[in-house]
Amino acid sequence: MNLFTKQEDSASKSQAELLYQAQRRKEQLFRTNVGLSWGVLLLILVFLFSGNSLTIANFTFNTIKLDQQFIKDNMFFIAGGLWETIKISILSIAFATGLALLAALGRLSNNPPIYALSTFYVSLIRGTPLYLQIFFFFLALPQLGIVLSGTLAGVVALGLNYGAYMSEIFRAGIASVGKGQREAALAIGMTPGQTMQRIVIPQAMRFAIPPMGNEFIAMTKDSALVSATGFVHELMWRSTKVGRAQFRNLEALIMAAIFYWIMTLILTYAQSWLESRLAKGDR
Amino acid sequence: MAPIVKVANLDKYFGRLHVLKKINLEVKPMEVVCIIGRSGSGKSTLLRCINFLEEPSAGTIEVDKLIVEAGGKGREHRQLVHDVRLKTGMVFQEFNLFPHMSVLENVTEGPVTVKKMDRSKANEIAEMNLDRVGMLFKKDEYPMRLSGGQKQRIAIARALAMEPKVMLFDEPTSALDPELIGEVLNVMKKVAQEGMTMLVVTHEMGFAREVADRVVVMAEGEIIEDNTPEEIFKSPKDPRTKALIDRYRSGGVE
Ligand SMILES: Nc1ncnc2c1ncn2[C@@H]1O[C@H](COP(=O)(O)OP(=O)(O)O)[C@@H](O)[C@H]1O
Ligand SMILES: [Mg+2]
Repeated sequence: MNLFTKQEDSASKSQAELLYQAQRRKEQLFRTNVGLSWGVLLLILVFLFSGNSLTIANFTFNTIKLDQQFIKDNMFFIAGGLWETIKISILSIAFATGLALLAALGRLSNNPPIYALSTFYVSLIRGTPLYLQIFFFFLALPQLGIVLSGTLAGVVALGLNYGAYMSEIFRAGIASVGKGQREAALAIGMTPGQTMQRIVIPQAMRFAIPPMGNEFIAMTKDSALVSATGFVHELMWRSTKVGRAQFRNLEALIMAAIFYWIMTLILTYAQSWLESRLAKGDR
Repeated sequence: MAPIVKVANLDKYFGRLHVLKKINLEVKPMEVVCIIGRSGSGKSTLLRCINFLEEPSAGTIEVDKLIVEAGGKGREHRQLVHDVRLKTGMVFQEFNLFPHMSVLENVTEGPVTVKKMDRSKANEIAEMNLDRVGMLFKKDEYPMRLSGGQKQRIAIARALAMEPKVMLFDEPTSALDPELIGEVLNVMKKVAQEGMTMLVVTHEMGFAREVADRVVVMAEGEIIEDNTPEEIFKSPKDPRTKALIDRYRSGGVE
């Protein structure tokens, strides 16, 4: 392409095109500046904990000095909790998803006891703290002769808790599937059960996946509460253990925070990727 | 010939609203019956009572020797309703294709899930029916990528794949852009010529005139006229029929 035609092109560009390009440039500039600012904020945060001091004129800023040796020594011990955290989160979300689906179906049922069971469960769980629920399964049940391991108690409590909240997501998902879909399925002779399983739930799932991603991210963080049982060696438990023992809570908690943050960043990224794939899909 | 569909003394209430009033209607095998009438006259409800998408309030529905009384309950009734649905295919105004399934899967869904047919046999039947409506070339597409006319032809294939005795059409072309109506009507005409028994709620008077054996006119929940298309269009007996036909003549479709 030579210079001439290029000029012609831009001359013939419509005003709408020019405005659009200007808008695009503005948006890009905004994103670039946000990105740079993030970098600066991160640098400031790192500097704050770098242990360096900075002198400007007569003022000297002393930044926080972290125990590098402690960090090096305990890095692998704390990171070792990552797998436990992930494991608990995955098991709990799986359990919660099943419960949420059942609760949502119960909520749509015409059968009074089933409807009642579903709403009773949701009300009870939403009306009590998650922290209490975890202790209930770990500390209170043994009194009745039911002893659950810390991990199991945590998974049961997190699963029950998130199941109650997620049932609302599934209920909305099922409600988002039009009446015409059900009727078309019934008209070809499908039973109500088949209609639910083959037609309604697959479409409801597609609707429910983005909010479920949010729940999963929230759960990876709430899994830290399970450390309170003292028997689940996930991220939080490990960092408080070494932090308390050596009075290096600052270092230990910062390390755990970084791990949680990185985990949620990855999950958030994965979620938006999945969401854009779904948006492009055959809707 | 004995009727294949027989609606006797059918009443339907929605709450206090009396929507169908003692409807009696018989359709013989291979007959094509068009139902016309103003919007709100109860045409859809009548059609939907035949396959029990609406539960009739009173009366009897008979389809191919299966007799179902209104107000039945329990397993036996549910089984009868299920069997009636197997004998009837339905085509909706809004197509209602399953958006999460490919065109082929839409058509095999009934045979595989309901009739427990094995997949290869179901595919064979589905392809045959898609070919029948001229949509085989789109079998791997998803519904969202198709035009309204194409969707409706696939919906017809989906119903035909269950090999019903009677096809029910509820305003199959009312949601379509005018230029797409013809392709759907042509498919319906072809299905009629192949000998299918059809009950068609429609505003397409040309179709009624050309394809129907009988035209049934409804008003306020009653059948006010039931005759050959010639009689209905040339010498309507009821003034409401005349008004309805005049409206179509002047191009006003409600
Ligand atoms: N599910 C329903 N609940 C309450 N009223 C309804 C329902 N479906 C239809 N109706 C009413 O019943 C009457 C007949 O409706 P319909 O059979 O859809 O008429 P048509 O198909 O002839 O336009 C209308 O007055 C309509 O408002
Ligand atoms: Mg209607």
